Amino acid sequence: MTPRSRVAALPIAVAALALSALPAPAQQPNRPPIRRVDVPMLNGGDGPLAAPIPPQPKVMAITNATIMTASRGTIEKGTVLIRDGKIAAVGTDVSVPADAVVIDGTGRYVTPGIIDAHSHSMAEAINEGTQSITSEVRIEDVLRQDGIGVFRELAGGVTTLNILHGSANTIGGQNAVVKLRWGLPIDSMLFAEAPPGIKFALGENVRQTNRPPGPGREARYPRTRMGVEELLRDAFTRATEYRAEWRAYDAAVKARRKNDPEPIPPARDLELDALVEIIEGTRLVHAHSYRSDEILMLLEVAKDFGFRVSSLQHVLEGYKVADEIEAAGSGASTFADNWAYKLEAWDAIPHNAALMAERGVRVSINSDSDERARRLYQEAAKAMKYGGASEEEALKMITLNAAWQLGVDKYVGSIEVGKQADIAIFNGHPFAPASRVEKTIIDGRVFFDRDKVPTLEKVLEKKKAGRTTTDGGAR
Amino acid sequence: MTAFGARTLLASAVVLATASPGWAQEGTWALVNVRIHPVSGPVIERGTIVIRNGLIAAVGADVTAPADARVLDLSGREVAPGIIDLASTIGGSPAPAPPGRGPGGAAQNADAIPAGLDPSLMATDGLKLSEADLRGAREAGITAILVAPSRGAFRGRSALIPTRASVAADQAIKAPAALQMGFEGVSGQYPATLLGVIAYERQTLYDAQRYALVAERYRTNPRGLARPAFDPGLEALVPAVRRELPVFFAASEENEIRRAVRIAGEFDLDLTVVGATEGFRALDALAGRAAVVSVNFPKASEVTGWSYRLTRSAELPDSAAADRAARAAIEGNAAALARSGVRFALGTGGARPGELLANVRKAIAAGLPRETALEALTIRPAELVGLGEALGTIEVGKIANLVVTDRGDLLGDSSRVRDVFIDGEHYEVAPARPASRGAATSAARLGGSWTMTINTPQGAQEVSMTVQQSGSEFSGSMTSMFGTTEFSDGQIDGRTVSWSMVLDMGGNAMTITYQGEVDGTRMTGTATLGQFGTAPFTAEKRP
Repeated sequence: MTPRSRVAALPIAVAALALSALPAPAQQPNRPPIRRVDVPMLNGGDGPLAAPIPPQPKVMAITNATIMTASRGTIEKGTVLIRDGKIAAVGTDVSVPADAVVIDGTGRYVTPGIIDAHSHSMAEAINEGTQSITSEVRIEDVLRQDGIGVFRELAGGVTTLNILHGSANTIGGQNAVVKLRWGLPIDSMLFAEAPPGIKFALGENVRQTNRPPGPGREARYPRTRMGVEELLRDAFTRATEYRAEWRAYDAAVKARRKNDPEPIPPARDLELDALVEIIEGTRLVHAHSYRSDEILMLLEVAKDFGFRVSSLQHVLEGYKVADEIEAAGSGASTFADNWAYKLEAWDAIPHNAALMAERGVRVSINSDSDERARRLYQEAAKAMKYGGASEEEALKMITLNAAWQLGVDKYVGSIEVGKQADIAIFNGHPFAPASRVEKTIIDGRVFFDRDKVPTLEKVLEKKKAGRTTTDGGAR
Repeated sequence: MTAFGARTLLASAVVLATASPGWAQEGTWALVNVRIHPVSGPVIERGTIVIRNGLIAAVGADVTAPADARVLDLSGREVAPGIIDLASTIGGSPAPAPPGRGPGGAAQNADAIPAGLDPSLMATDGLKLSEADLRGAREAGITAILVAPSRGAFRGRSALIPTRASVAADQAIKAPAALQMGFEGVSGQYPATLLGVIAYERQTLYDAQRYALVAERYRTNPRGLARPAFDPGLEALVPAVRRELPVFFAASEENEIRRAVRIAGEFDLDLTVVGATEGFRALDALAGRAAVVSVNFPKASEVTGWSYRLTRSAELPDSAAADRAARAAIEGNAAALARSGVRFALGTGGARPGELLANVRKAIAAGLPRETALEALTIRPAELVGLGEALGTIEVGKIANLVVTDRGDLLGDSSRVRDVFIDGEHYEVAPARPASRGAATSAARLGGSWTMTINTPQGAQEVSMTVQQSGSEFSGSMTSMFGTTEFSDGQIDGRTVSWSMVLDMGGNAMTITYQGEVDGTRMTGTATLGQFGTAPFTAEKRP
């Protein structure tokens, strides 16, 4: 019984018993069954709170538009053809079938749906901050689908969110990648193909030195960056031993002769299950980090235990160690121009994203905020303005690179044939300050259409006409 | 009968099988000339129920009162099985301090299992129920309640307790009745949040599965094996992971229901969802499951999907209309569950016992079949705790828990509970003082505009109504898809109102009579549509 064992209250001592009747627990936890991506219209059951799923036309075409593909340049006066929710053709000489639902893209800019690699939208709980390692908790368990923030993000062209555990713990919870299928039940919003992931955190938030413990409470270990590293190494050492236990069990099962008693499987530990998945490369690590020294520390720990950090989050000093990040095969997900809000954010510079990209790091720009998520395209533009990133590089920072960091770049992130039709349609260049999103499409379904929703303009018009309402106003 | 005597008798199964326990009412009753709703069969218009030793000894139209019976003439009254409330809050454990306030419990005793994480708690341990609460339940026709620890992930085990005065643990009808689970964390220690709670539940259930198997292995052949450590918490969970004890999981919102169903699925638990006020949004998840549906209706603006609704149409929503529509869905929850074949009981779930029947009537007005509602108050809850053979209907051999009403049956719009029998023990209920009768000022105030929804067999129909009230009489007009029709015969009797009108339906005249009960700015009731049967309605006064 250790202080950080979540099952300390209910210990079981399992001696070397031989068991004959145990069911065969999977060596590794079974992933939840394949999720239904396209549920029947169940949400709201019946009645006024029901949510009809937007139709998915057999064929849809966005014609005569400026198409910013994020992977193969920009196509003027082009057409995107969508069939059964997937991109079927992109180009200037695409013929549009007679039965296609056509969206006239004249004067419009079409981009891949925006992917926010760092969000806490939709989570009913963010930090299980009572222990510094909580790899067993799952954001997927605590999602709620109908916060108004989701709708506002959709209105900003966002189609995919990486919903992360908070940064209170050295190893936080398992993240959830969702598509913003607004109005549908939560299970239908999960990004079915996204590999599992997890949140790590380093530095001040984990040390909790900015937040003294409450009266009567003890300060939580670790209190220094030394302790953070120790905790990580200890956790992965335990996970390695746990994996060895299971391997020994597997070997014993194989070696067992007919009349031998069946060996007992080790006690299943959900905390260590997740860490074993990290070691085995099936769970992606997204690590909150600020300072270059702690970034190097984490990359070293990962190397020692044989895993890769999929994305360093925030990574405000990433420009100092861009080569090391690149060599480790890690991505970097940062703010455009957010700095000096605490000591470890002191050395941040707005050139960070572009500088890291220059050294070959796959960089994304994230929101970490329901508000900023509504205008991530403006954040991407700052990488051009400050750091001189190319237009396509800047666009990748909110689309394809984020998709790569989340392990979903095979499915989304650029406008390419075969990818899921997640698309934002802007009324002007997405990096121009006054441009805004007119339609947001997910899997070929229009989930946001500015013409059909109660926008602030419409609210203000009504206000002029008579009774006021705050229904569509700001929080 | 002393408590000592009761324990002595309970100690022997042989005695139990042949004689009633010491606390059972030994008197014999004959309830005569009463309209009987047995639930197990058709209504007996005028019959007799004989109660002996706390059990129903005879029931029927031709039953004669035994010579030794105390005869209760219930002419004009109706009797139904006593209500069983599996979502009662009476006797629930006091809530631990909410997270983040004050010093946590962790510092006090590191080894103590905090409240809310100890499944070994038994509701019968130190059972002490407030007499006022028990009386309140009886007056609402509730004859048995599930006493359950009320907060936590693993709250403990509940017991079904009769609502007799001075009830004691040895009178429990069933204990443990269910393992009670929920989603609340512990202040200041793991698991503090929903994230931790669900992970903790999973890990602990895995631990319990393993504990059960290891214990079983040791029980069958201990030789040569180190004995496993005894753990009272996991021990208490073993029957639940073996499906021998139902799991009552508190889950009201759509996502809570989905979470509970997912966890139960992962561990093959015998799940009953308790609360389920947004069950109508999770019909797919609840399919094939059981529920105790609370009639403690949530506010429209708190229901999942409310903010989605606000973004659906370019037209700004009319808040009042949206609220009404959402309320209809909320009150129609039980009806939606019934339509999709979910097996469910109805319970208070935080509503006052006195509100139970009033809210069940709203659920009926929103489309819940009346028979289903009566079953959901009686036999369904009995079945959900494995007592379908002992409780829940008026049949020979069952426990004599009965509720007697006047002015109509239990679910009638103006019926009142007058008597209850619990284990054959008779309680008279003084009718609520008719505060609204007599004085003209306290009679229902009907004057104004109303929006009414009539649930006809052809579907819901919106009607608007304008009323002019003069004392206990009123007149007005109603506008529907058939046009506007006047009426002038309205009568107000306390909270009960009635009126009628003749509708011209393509040359055929149809008389519609309305009978309703007014509660402030709300009215529920029944419309009789000529020879076409009846239709429940709800109405709301417009401000």
